[in-house]
Amino acid sequence: MDFGYSPEQQKLRQEVAAFIRTHVTEEVLAELDGHENKGPARDSGTTRDRRGPLVSQLFKKIGERGWLGYGYPKEYGGQGGDRIGQYIIEEEFLRVGIPIGLAGSGAPAIMAAGTEEQKRYFLPKLISGEFSFALGFTEPHAGADLAALRCRAIRDGDYYIINGQKMYTTSAHVSTHVYLMVRTNPDVPKHDGISIFIFPMDTPGITVRPLWTIQSDPKAPRGTTYGDARSNEVFFDDVRVHKTTLLGEENQGWRVGSMGLNLDRVGASRYLRSVRRDEDIVNWIKQNRFGAYSPASDPAIRDKIAELWIEAQVCRLMTMRSMSIVEHGGNFTYEGSAEKVWAPEHGVKTTEAITQMLGPYAQLLNGSPFAIEKGIFAHNVMGAFQSGINHGSVQIMRDQVARRGLALPSPRRARTTAK
Amino acid sequence: MDLLLTDEEKMVVASAREFLDGECPTSLVRKMETDPLGYPPALWNKCAELGWVGMCLPEEYGGQALPLVYLGLVLQEVGRAVAPIPLLSTVVTAQTIAKSGTKQQCQALLPGVIEGKTVLTWAFTERDPRFLPETVETRAVTNGDDFVINGTKMFVDNFAAAQYCLVACRTGDRTATGEGLSLFLVATSSAGISHTPLTTVAKDKQSEVIFNNVHVPKENLIGRLNEGWATTEELLDLSTVLVCAQMLGAARKDAEMAFEYAKLREAFGQPIGAFQSIQHTCADMIIWIDGGELLTYEALWKMDRGLLASVEVSQAKAFCNERCEAVVRNSQCIHGGIGFMMEFDLHLWFRRVSSWTMRLGTTYEHRARVARALLDVPGLVVLGAPLPVATAA
Repeated sequence: MDFGYSPEQQKLRQEVAAFIRTHVTEEVLAELDGHENKGPARDSGTTRDRRGPLVSQLFKKIGERGWLGYGYPKEYGGQGGDRIGQYIIEEEFLRVGIPIGLAGSGAPAIMAAGTEEQKRYFLPKLISGEFSFALGFTEPHAGADLAALRCRAIRDGDYYIINGQKMYTTSAHVSTHVYLMVRTNPDVPKHDGISIFIFPMDTPGITVRPLWTIQSDPKAPRGTTYGDARSNEVFFDDVRVHKTTLLGEENQGWRVGSMGLNLDRVGASRYLRSVRRDEDIVNWIKQNRFGAYSPASDPAIRDKIAELWIEAQVCRLMTMRSMSIVEHGGNFTYEGSAEKVWAPEHGVKTTEAITQMLGPYAQLLNGSPFAIEKGIFAHNVMGAFQSGINHGSVQIMRDQVARRGLALPSPRRARTTAK
Repeated sequence: MDLLLTDEEKMVVASAREFLDGECPTSLVRKMETDPLGYPPALWNKCAELGWVGMCLPEEYGGQALPLVYLGLVLQEVGRAVAPIPLLSTVVTAQTIAKSGTKQQCQALLPGVIEGKTVLTWAFTERDPRFLPETVETRAVTNGDDFVINGTKMFVDNFAAAQYCLVACRTGDRTATGEGLSLFLVATSSAGISHTPLTTVAKDKQSEVIFNNVHVPKENLIGRLNEGWATTEELLDLSTVLVCAQMLGAARKDAEMAFEYAKLREAFGQPIGAFQSIQHTCADMIIWIDGGELLTYEALWKMDRGLLASVEVSQAKAFCNERCEAVVRNSQCIHGGIGFMMEFDLHLWFRRVSSWTMRLGTTYEHRARVARALLDVPGLVVLGAPLPVATAA
C-alpha cells in the first residue's frame, strides 16, 4: 500500500498549479463564464463555438506542455504518461472549473475496443478537443434498464440504416459526433443484440431538440455540480452510416459499452463533482458570519462538517483505489460500482446538509441579492441528485456490487427479448 | 500511489489467517470469555514465536522493525478470528516505550515482551471517559527514590494478564494543554494495587484499577517529567488506529457470514440474497468496510512515514464506530432469529465490534477533533492536501 505521490508526481502538481496561477487569469475565467457551456472547444464548424479567444489560447498552451491526454499513448496524440499523472493534471484544472480530461468522452472505450484506424482517427482529436462525442445511451423507454433500448440499426450492404430516439443527450447540440448504442439484433436476449456506432452529428437524418434543465435558470455559476442548462432529445430518421463506424463487433455493444463506462467513471471529474462542496462549505464557514452568529462555533454544525469531511475522504480514497486497479490492468469486480454508490450519495448528503447550515440563504440563486458564492449551493440543490441517476443509478450500482462483488443470486424475473 | 496490497502484505494476511484458522476455533473464543486470565498462554506464545509482538519493535531488542501497516494487517486478522490474545494492549505499550523510553528501560523490558513472556497494558481513562489531559486526576508524588501513586483508572485492558502497566499520572497542575502529565511503568504486582473486573458486552478483560500509595522507582518514569501528554497522544493514536484495524477484520468476517447465509436461507421460494432489499444492504455493508479500511491504512501509512496522522486516525475511528456497528447489526438482522441465539457463533463478532466502537474515543469525540483541525486553524482547506497546521501552540 502506498498512499503518497512520488516526487515526480508532486513536481507535476506544482508545475500545473503554477501554470494555473499564471495563465488562468480573471479575464480567462470571465470568458469561460460568459460562454453558455464551459470547457474545451467543440467547434466542428457546424455547431456553436464553445471556446473564446482567451480560452483557445489557454488550451494551446496546455497542449504545448503535454498535459492534454497525458495518460494516453503517444501514437494516439497522448503523452504516454501514467494514469496518476493524468489524474493530477485533471484535478488541478477542474478545481478552477476547467475540465480538460476525457471523462465521459468515449475515449476509454475506443482505447479498449476500437480498431487501429479508429484509434488513430479519433483519439488525437478527442484529446485536442477538436472532436467531442454526444453519448447516445438513454431512450424514452430505456433508462436504468438500458439494455431494453429500441433504437434500431438494420444492415443494408456496407451500410446500416438507423431509426429511433435518444433522450438526455446532454452535449448533442455542441458535439461533433454521436457515440450511439443501438439494437442490431432483436431476436436474442436483450444484452446480446446491441452495437455501438460512432459517426458525425451532421449526418443527414439527425434532429436535435433542446430539453432545458431546472438547474440553470438563472445561469448556474462555474463549478456547480452538473449545472448544464441544456440537455437534448435526438431523433434518428433513416440515418445511413457505413459499417466502419461500428465500434467493436456487431452485437458486442453491451460489453464494449460497460467496459467504457467503468473506465469513464474513474478519475478526477467524478470525484471532484462529489466533494467540491465539502471544501467550499468549510472554507466559507471559516471566513464568514451571519451578524454575530458564527456557524463555525456551532457544535451541531461542527459535528456535521467533520462527518461530511470524513466521508469525502472515503470518496477520495475510493477514487485512488480505482486508479490503482486501472494501473494494475483494470479488472474491476465491484470497486467501480462501489465508488459510484458512495460518492454521489455523499455529494447529495453534503448538498442537503449545507442547506441546513445556511438556512434561508441557501435558497438564493445566482444574481440574487445576498446570494452566497453566486448561489452555487442553491443551484447545487437542484442538480446534485443527478450524480445518483446518470451513468448507472446508485440502485443499479448496488445490484452490481451485490451480484458481481458478493456473488449474491440474481432475482427471479421474466427473461425477455426486446423487439 | 497504489492502494492495493503488495505481495508481501498479502502474504502477511494469508499466513496470519491460516494460522488463526487452525489455532483459534470459536470454542476457544467462548472458553476464554469465562477464563479469569482471558487468554490461552499456549496460543499467545505461538503468536510471539511468529513475531507478531516484535513486528514493529527495534531489531536491537529482538524485533523486526517492520512498518506499522503490517501490524495493522495482523490485528485485522486477529479481529477476524476474534482471537482472545492481549496483542493490542501489549504492542501499543511496547511501541510507546520503544519510542519514548531510555535505552536501559527498553533493554530491560522489550526482549521479554517480544518473546511473549511479558504482557503489557496501559491506563489513562478515569471517571470522565474522554481522552483529554484534564481528565487525569491520579497523582504521582515524589517520595525519596520513588514516586507514590494514588488514584483510580478505568477500562484497563488485560490487567490480570499483564506484568506491567503504563500509567498516566498527574505530576503537576491540571491543565488543558497537557502539561503536568507523566507516564510511569508500574508492575501490576506492586503493593497497594487492587483491580475489579468489569463485565462488558465483549466479555473481554477490562478492569477498574485502584492505586493506593503504590510506590514506583524513579527510573520507571517513561519520557520526561510533566511532558507525558505528547507521548500519551501518540499512544492513544496508535491504539485507536489499531483497534480500527481489529474492528474492521471482525466486521468483514461478520459480514461475510451474512452474505453466505443470504445465499442459503430461502423465503418465498428463493434465497433471501436474491431480494434486492437484502442485496442493497449487503452492498452497503461491503462499501462501509472498504471505506473504513482505506481510512485506517492511510493513517497507518502516514505514521510509518513520521507524518502527523491524528486527523487521519480520528477520521478512521469516527467512521468505523458508526459503520462497523451498522455492518454487524445488519448482519444480525439478515440472520434473523438465529443470530440472536447463544449457541450460534455470530454474536462473538457482533458483541466485540459493538464494544470496540465504544472504546478509544466516541464518534463525537473524534469528529470534534477533526472539526478543530478543519475550522479552528486559519487557512483554506483542500481535500487530499494536509490541513493547515497551527503555527503557535
